[in-house]
Amino acid sequence: MLAFLPSWVDPVAEYMFKEGLKLTLQIAAVAVAGSAVVGIVLGTLLTIRWWPLRAVIRVYVEIWRGLPIIVTIFLIFFALPTLGIKLDAWLAGAIGLALWGSAQVAEATRGAVQSIPSEQHEAAAALGFGWAGRHVFVIVPQASRRLMPPLVSLLVNVIQNTTLVLLIGVGELLATGQRETETLQAPPPIGVGDAHALAIYGAVAIVFFVISFPLTRLAAYLERRLV
Amino acid sequence: MTLAYDFQWSFIWENHSLLLQALWRTLEISLIAIAGSAVIGIVLGAARAARIPVVSQLTAVYVEVIRNTPILVQIFFIFFALPEIGITLPQFTAAWFSLMLWGGAFSVENFRAGFEAVPHEYREAGLALGFSRLRTFIHVTLPIGGRIALPASINTFSSVLKNSAIVGPAVAYGELTHTSFRILEATGRTFEIFFVLGVFYLVLVWSLSALIRLLEARLALPEEAR
Repeated sequence: MLAFLPSWVDPVAEYMFKEGLKLTLQIAAVAVAGSAVVGIVLGTLLTIRWWPLRAVIRVYVEIWRGLPIIVTIFLIFFALPTLGIKLDAWLAGAIGLALWGSAQVAEATRGAVQSIPSEQHEAAAALGFGWAGRHVFVIVPQASRRLMPPLVSLLVNVIQNTTLVLLIGVGELLATGQRETETLQAPPPIGVGDAHALAIYGAVAIVFFVISFPLTRLAAYLERRLV
Repeated sequence: MTLAYDFQWSFIWENHSLLLQALWRTLEISLIAIAGSAVIGIVLGAARAARIPVVSQLTAVYVEVIRNTPILVQIFFIFFALPEIGITLPQFTAAWFSLMLWGGAFSVENFRAGFEAVPHEYREAGLALGFSRLRTFIHVTLPIGGRIALPASINTFSSVLKNSAIVGPAVAYGELTHTSFRILEATGRTFEIFFVLGVFYLVLVWSLSALIRLLEARLALPEEAR
């Protein structure tokens, strides 16, 4: 591919992109979709009057925001099987990320929904919408404008935190880099007998930067446009 | 339905000295990192807000690099890649240093925003009274802007504490999370250990945010100063 690079680079890069990056993006996509759906529903429900439901959701939000994401992932991957629930490692990771992410989204949604003036509620009610219809068709679509910056920031955070699944043995981008680093260090014919950690982890950092930087800029731009 | 799993909690007491040591280590690396990142945040945040040439641009690069790369990649870089150029850090140092580097970048942004929110008339009043730029910063911008930066810092500092759970297993430093794996190997009580681990972190994180909120309330500006 790139002739000026040392010969060990090509197969390593191919493996890291085709296997590692693919899994990173897959986990991030599942986690973000789950966070957005669950978070927006819970966040909207946080604005209702009936306090027992609000209290239950509040407990959910505070627990998953308070726990380190890695501990949540360990709980799902190592502790749930003792209760008979066994999940694939990548899925356990995605669910752990989604629990944390949905708590973040719920908090942001609550604020966004509460920022919609009460006249909007009244107008929708006057047109015959019930609570659900009012929120699905009138309130939440208006709140979504305010929800965009935190959702983009969440995407960045989730993409970066997919690396945590390395600790439960999932071969995402950083893990494939780690495997290749260890293989290369072995004497020939398995590896090249040289340490290439600096180059490989440097490359992993650059890939994450290239993905994240435009997204953090976008989040900042959306934030500025709101004011 | 009956659970086939038989819960046993006695291992917690049997391992209490190990757990307490691990708890202390979590607190130690987190508090060093939090203090360090507050200093980094105040100094470099002030440099950013005052637009001091070169320092301000270098700080911007530092902040963007840290904010846009995963902390686990940063830890790997510090602990596994730096030895290649002759920099080998012991596990303890690598642990608090990588936490501090991460927290510092986020603190810079918190404090920069805080300092920039101080009305410029205040600074001008300080300068007009004959204070030097440094004195004006220490007596005017820092007390007001620092308070404005506190709420955002709660999030950053509790994230530093939570990130210690990543650093421990990554560099094999025996803080709470890494130690829980050692206890797991010895006892096999998977569910109980991770349950207890979760409770430990919730108590730590919630106490830390309560503490900072308390500090915030104590430090609240009198209404007329706003």
